Amino acid sequence: MRALIAAATGLAVALALVLTLSAIGTPAGKTSPEPLLTTVPPHP
Amino acid sequence: MRRKTSLVLLALAVFCAALAPLVRWYAFPRLAKIPANEYQTMVLEAKNATLLDYGTMTARTVPKVTIVQTLKGDVAASEKIEKTADRDVVVWDGLSYIQGPDGKMVSRVPERYIFDAHTQEPVHATGESVDGDPVRREGIEFKWPFLTEKRDYEYFDAQTRTSNPIHYKGTQDFRGVKVYYFEQTIPWTKVAMPKTMPVAGITPETVARTGTTRWYTTVRKFWVEPLTGAPVYGEEIHQEELRGGTLLGGRAKVTAFAGDVKMREDYVEHTVALVKHNRTLVLLMTSSVPWGCLTLGALLLALSLWLEARGRRPAGPPPARAPERETVTA
Repeated sequence: MRALIAAATGLAVALALVLTLSAIGTPAGKTSPEPLLTTVPPHP
Repeated sequence: MRRKTSLVLLALAVFCAALAPLVRWYAFPRLAKIPANEYQTMVLEAKNATLLDYGTMTARTVPKVTIVQTLKGDVAASEKIEKTADRDVVVWDGLSYIQGPDGKMVSRVPERYIFDAHTQEPVHATGESVDGDPVRREGIEFKWPFLTEKRDYEYFDAQTRTSNPIHYKGTQDFRGVKVYYFEQTIPWTKVAMPKTMPVAGITPETVARTGTTRWYTTVRKFWVEPLTGAPVYGEEIHQEELRGGTLLGGRAKVTAFAGDVKMREDYVEHTVALVKHNRTLVLLMTSSVPWGCLTLGALLLALSLWLEARGRRPAGPPPARAPERETVTA
């Protein structure tokens, strides 16, 4: 019974970790203020 | 104590074993995506190209034609579309600005490309356009999906406004990066005049009235890093002609542009370095972390079982007691 509880705990923590990280994701940020270029940039 | 340790190890083993498929098949599709606020530029050059002189309406060889390509993510527009699309969406506003050897504008073609942030599938929403004309993309553009496969893809051509197959032609090594080589040929096709013409006073409408039409063909080549789906190098053998009508003074056709367009060397180096970095991140999520977790999980499980088995082993026989000496009575 104690082994079953230990296994369930490991599974629950893994699920919680991955679901939380995926839900947080990466922030969208803001649209870049840089313009669409009409001149040749000297470097990348 | 030994029992408790084996239970903790068992919990950790299950944690690691569960993490492996969760990272690969749940987290990866949700976390690996093109950022909505992406901003990137690319410079391509066609050396010794043929370019039409609109003053004399004759083609001449020029030392260099430069194409400046900008892609800029519109975050507000992507968030608006996401509300109805029910997936992560990226909206790219692009501009292909072509400059002649004298620094003057040859053409400028804006476009709006809307796609799924992970799969790269086109998303159809209001605003999807090329040079102001509404379009409906059925293929990818600029980038391949993560975990690119060795197969043909539909690739959108902005000049003809159509999607056509781009063929997988083999695996190569490009500056130390394993890449898939793709090639697409667009046969001679009649295409629209750009809305912005290089000479003031000339518009697509005035050209159309002369009966002159614009035709185009290209061979498009991409070297794509398969994990990220990012092209590390691109080339285009591009030809444009004006055909018929009174504008050409009785000639059947004149070359408007012809050249072998290649990425500028500093941009190639920059792109290769960027792709190498991003490739490591994708590799972590699709291979290193899942396989590492699975291996660690197996080791922890084995250790846990071993400890458990030792804990249950029956204790050894008690030390033999010295036989009591029998008392002998005389």
